[in-house]
Amino acid sequence: MSSAGCVHLSSLKQEAHWKQSVRLIHQWFVCCGSLEARKRKARSCVCHLCGAHFNRLHSCLSCVFFGCFGRRHIHEHAKTKRHPLAIDLYHGTIYCFQCQDYVYDRDCELIAREEQRKAWRLQGAAGWYTNWEPTRRELELLRQNPKRRKIAPNSTIGLRGLVNLGNTCFMNCIVQALTHTPLLRDFFLSDRHRCAMESPDSCLVCEMSRLFQEFYSGFRSPHIPYRLLHLVWTHARHLAGYEQQDAHEFLIAGETRDDNGKKGTHPNHCNCIIDQIFTGGLQSDVTCQVCNGVSTTIDPFWDISLDLPGSSSSFWPLSPNSEGGGITNGEKHAPTGTVPLTSPTSLTDCLRRFTRPEHLGSSAKIKCSGCHSYQESTKQLTMKKLPIVACFHLKRFEHSAKLRRKITTYVSFPLDLDMTPFMASSKESRMNGQYQQGDSLNSENKYSLFAVVNHQGTLESGHYTSFIRQHKDQWFKCDDAIITHASVRDVLDSEGYILLCPLSCARFVFECRG
Amino acid sequence: MNKDAQLRHSINQKLIENGERDRLKELLRTKLIECGWKDQMKAHCKEIIRQKGLDHVTIEELVTEITPRGRALVPDSVKKELLQRIRTFLGKNSII
Ligand SMILES: [Zn+2]
Ligand SMILES: [Zn+2]
Ligand SMILES: [Zn+2]
Ligand SMILES: [Zn+2]
Ligand SMILES: [Zn+2]
Ligand SMILES: [Zn+2]
Repeated sequence: MSSAGCVHLSSLKQEAHWKQSVRLIHQWFVCCGSLEARKRKARSCVCHLCGAHFNRLHSCLSCVFFGCFGRRHIHEHAKTKRHPLAIDLYHGTIYCFQCQDYVYDRDCELIAREEQRKAWRLQGAAGWYTNWEPTRRELELLRQNPKRRKIAPNSTIGLRGLVNLGNTCFMNCIVQALTHTPLLRDFFLSDRHRCAMESPDSCLVCEMSRLFQEFYSGFRSPHIPYRLLHLVWTHARHLAGYEQQDAHEFLIAGETRDDNGKKGTHPNHCNCIIDQIFTGGLQSDVTCQVCNGVSTTIDPFWDISLDLPGSSSSFWPLSPNSEGGGITNGEKHAPTGTVPLTSPTSLTDCLRRFTRPEHLGSSAKIKCSGCHSYQESTKQLTMKKLPIVACFHLKRFEHSAKLRRKITTYVSFPLDLDMTPFMASSKESRMNGQYQQGDSLNSENKYSLFAVVNHQGTLESGHYTSFIRQHKDQWFKCDDAIITHASVRDVLDSEGYILLCPLSCARFVFECRG
Repeated sequence: MNKDAQLRHSINQKLIENGERDRLKELLRTKLIECGWKDQMKAHCKEIIRQKGLDHVTIEELVTEITPRGRALVPDSVKKELLQRIRTFLGKNSII
């Protein structure tokens, strides 16, 4: 396209209602947010000359006409009717048949972007993930500041130690994990946080934003997170005493807040980035043992807390007929005379335990809406909606009336995890007899490990460190101010307390979370 | 319309109605960026423009020229994944 732009579009823009007609085409035929629009699109988007629904359909901008580009039916229309402009129905771009080129027009692009955003919002998607494009002001700033920092593919920018301010390792290890979450990094470095707090000084997300600037500034000396500590100190006081604190509680304080703003330092309904990436939906099915009636509830969750073998509350091992992973399997294959090869408990075992039906017992009868009386029932949890970043919390600390202790059982965890078996939808298709195991092609429910928080020592005196991943397979150990290289083995052999895993296809999920 | 075309048409309609078509489009876009396809195609386009000169290439010629290579360069794994997604979708939504 020549820099002069398209005179044909310019003359169209002289017409009174041109904006409205461009907008309508976008709303109804390019990016349809409502079911009504999608139905109409499905019905009517065919080439008016050959009936094809593919071949790059375009819509005339001057009259109601759809034609395919592939067989030049839209060209034909443009020529005979002298309607030179058409919108590509797949991408929303405008083509000029006179200039024989796509036209890049600021006003039209703005309309397209607005409508796209609206459609996402209507479909329940977050709608804020679009490719970054500089605004005029940002372009001006870029011109004034010509210095650029180029990042090599193997760069370790972003690695920075954090000074321990007196037992603040619980905070440091989580900050390290969060600042290396790729999605959060992209979000904050593109300056996306629009603060909704009355006083941004007390906004934890604003502070996160500043932390990202610190981490990616290129400085290598350890950062002193006194501002963050101060914020936590003033707004989530129960976390910030100079005693041993729990990293998990700290993470949760950042993540959770309900409609009453009960926990955390966030405003109500702020729908902030942390919420958006950590929130999932947990389905709970309670089945009456008498009438088999099921009552289902779905609750949001911010992490998946898993019981470990050896804890007093859980009932390990899994039933012997459950496939794979169990101790019984290992013994069967062990050669005689040697110590039985018991495979360690895996994260998958814990998840299977988490999602299996649990008999609630005779002391916990629940009122059944089918029987209209109190009956014994079973309860089963499954994942209704997966979070964009899954946070697995291994319950290593047991606080009961009787005892406080740490469970040190080794739990193996994988670099890649498929959550499909633990989905509510898998349970349904299993019940309908359609479930196939090992649907390895589908990457939709796959997570990849990128941060592991560890607790060393005892309940009374312990220390937190974290492993974080950069690039595809570079691991680093963050021990307060000190950062060292680590091997994959170091990571996988570590005890594990909190594991953070983003969805493998997270970018995609961002754009069409439905 | 023959039977095959009719079936394609109704599958397409279902995909659009459901919003699945947009999701597939985004999935494909992501996959093609991830596997380097987009960069390869960009380089290919630049090469053609360099050869012919900026003022002697129209977008239509460019599209015609890069389409065969573009199709050929899509990795099998990406095609398979998309196919699998469509299959799963069709399994859940009876068409006929
Ligand atoms: Zn023109
Ligand atoms: Zn046609
Ligand atoms: Zn027309
Ligand atoms: Zn803020
Ligand atoms: Zn917030
Ligand atoms: Zn009942």
